[in-house]
Formats: sequence, structure tokens, C-alpha cells
Amino acid sequence: MADVDGAVREAVIEALALDDDEVTPDSTLMDDLGAESIDLLDILFRIEKSTGVKIEAADLGDYIQGGIPDEEFSDENEIITEKGAEQLHKVMPQTDPSQLAGTLAADEVIKLFTVQNLTEMVKLRADGVAA
Amino acid sequence: MGGPVSKLTDRVALVTGASRGIGRAIAGALAAEGAAVAVNFRSGSEQAQEVVQAIAAQGGRAAAIQGDVADYEQAQAVVKRTVEELGGLHILVNNAGIAKDALIYNMQPDDWLDVMRINFGGVFNCTKAALSTFMPQRDGVIVNISSVMGERGWTGESNYAASKGAVNAFTRCCAVEFARFGIRVNAVLPGFAPTDLVAGLMDKDGGKGVRKQIPLKSFATVEEVARSAVFLTGPDASYITGALLTVDGGSAAQLGMGKSL
Repeated sequence: MADVDGAVREAVIEALALDDDEVTPDSTLMDDLGAESIDLLDILFRIEKSTGVKIEAADLGDYIQGGIPDEEFSDENEIITEKGAEQLHKVMPQTDPSQLAGTLAADEVIKLFTVQNLTEMVKLRADGVAA
Repeated sequence: MGGPVSKLTDRVALVTGASRGIGRAIAGALAAEGAAVAVNFRSGSEQAQEVVQAIAAQGGRAAAIQGDVADYEQAQAVVKRTVEELGGLHILVNNAGIAKDALIYNMQPDDWLDVMRINFGGVFNCTKAALSTFMPQRDGVIVNISSVMGERGWTGESNYAASKGAVNAFTRCCAVEFARFGIRVNAVLPGFAPTDLVAGLMDKDGGKGVRKQIPLKSFATVEEVARSAVFLTGPDASYITGALLTVDGGSAAQLGMGKSL
């Protein structure tokens, strides 16, 4: 598939009305770029239109969690476990599991998701890999 | 100079409650502008087929699609069938509605629940259903057929008025939420047009009492209402979204009859 990187980047820039130089592969969508839930919807629809790869907003959480049951992904206080942190490192290689296990709240996980992480997810989906 | 240019060529429209009244007029007017039209009906199958045949007789494309849009699943099915039968969806006209006039003193819970469920619920259900087509294609137009009663009081119409007030508020929020996805959402607020819906108001004196209170001293024709709705669906309204367009002969602008000078 031609230039998924460019398609994702373009989608983020257009959806968030940002300048070209404000978006880097390492930019986190929510914290760095200020994306909210409606922005994520917009980004995903733009990606679908330009690449044909359909990703529902709910798919992001499933992809990040990687099929690990909730009770193994986070503890009773909704804090990421070691197993959860290992999974996060798989889909978000920029993260350090030792820093996240036992400290990161489950509902904060999405804030670590970067433009590059999204690009990789789109590429996997495009290749027909479960993502 | 050439003839009039069709403004909705290659567009597909779904009109709910299109077997009669304003919905029927809108379906015909959309087809006259080149749109393929899904004529939704709940129970008026014969009338819906007449609408389809009238459109076909003028060289247009239409399909009668049964479904009660007050039911969430049926609304989803109506939209799905429209896309399947007519090849897509670009325009949604939420027209289906009922009235159950009563003084509040006499009104029962079902009297307002039913009206709200159909008049607002139908708008919600079909809007939701259309999003799965509109959002990915970043293109869609929704016109909600509301009523001037949603903005002004009229004795005996509180349930209907409340449902249309809900439609008006929903129209604004839809416009704001969907704008970035290339979807425009507006409402037409008709005043009095002699359709089955307002037959009760016309019963006593053929509507003379109501007509006297309208600045333009006449009822709207369904065609007049339809023209406004079709305008909002087309390219001439490309920068209009979140608008409530009254088509009421001046009714909502008037404080009272006043004394003739």
C-alpha cells in the first residue's frame, strides 16, 4: 500500500487543523496534539477514505490491549500490570514497561498513542494482519 | 440559453414518511432536480407506490422502502435498503411525524410519548443510521422537517411542539458535530399546510379561523414547503448548516393581530 505514513500524517494534520511542522511521528495524538474523541473519529474516517483501511474508534482500545483480558491487563484499581505493560510495549515500542507497570492508569493508556503507533496499526490492517 | 440545470443529479435521497403530504411533495421535488429517491412509508404502501410511479413517469428513479423509523433497527434497515437499491445515500429528509392534539389537562403520558418517539425518535434513528454512510464518504445533507410550533406555542399542541423543539435543538447539535465530516444539517419549519396531519385544525370551519391569523392570509402549499427543503439539500445552500428555516407565511414573526391602522 502506497504511503500509509503520508496518509496518516495528512489525516492528523487536516483533522486537527495543524501546521505541517507541528506533527511528528513521535507526537502523541491526545497529549501533544490535543486530539479529543471527535478528532479521533475524524482522523480514522479520513484514513479510511484515503487508504481504504477501516478502523473503528473502539478498535484502538482492542488493538492496544491485544486480546489480554481486562483482569490481566490492569489490576483491581485499574492500574496497568506487568503483563499489560509488556503488551503496551509491543504496540507502542516507545514505552518503557518498567516505568508503566504498577503506575499507569488504564484509561490513561490511549494518551501514549503516537502518530507512528497509529501508522503501524494502519499498515497491519492493510496487510490483513489482525490489528 | 439551455434549460434549467438539475442540481441533484447523481445524488440519492431518502425521504421518510413520503407516501403523502409534505413528504410526498419533497420526494417529487427532489426527483425533479435529478435525485434518485427512496420513498419511505410505514403503512401507506399503495400511496408510496403512486409516488414512485409518478417519479418514474417523469423519467426519474425511485424505490418504495417500508419501515417504521421510530424503531431503531427498522431505521437502520431502511437506510441499508436505500443504499442497496439506489446505489448510495447523500440526502436524508426526516419528514415522518404524527400529531396527537390534546389539552395538557386531558393529555395522557402515551399521548406525548408516542409523538416524541416518532417525531424526535425517528429523526434520531435515521440520522444515526445515515452516519455510517455519510461520515466515511465525508458528504451528506440532512433536512429535518420540523414545525413553527417548535418555536411558538399553540393551544392543544404541546406534545407536538415539544417534539419539534427537540428536533430543532437536535438539528443545531448535529450541525455542529457533523460539520467537520462534510455533513450539513438544517431544518424546515413549516407553518400551516393543509395535510392529513393538521386535518383536525381545519375541521370546524375549513381552517378559516387559523388562516385569519396568518400574516400572508393563506396556508402553505406542500410544494412551497418542499421547495425550501430541496433548496437546503442542494449546492445553493452549501454554506448553510444549523439553520432553522421557517416557511410559515409570517406566523412566527407576528406577536398578534394588532389593530388595523
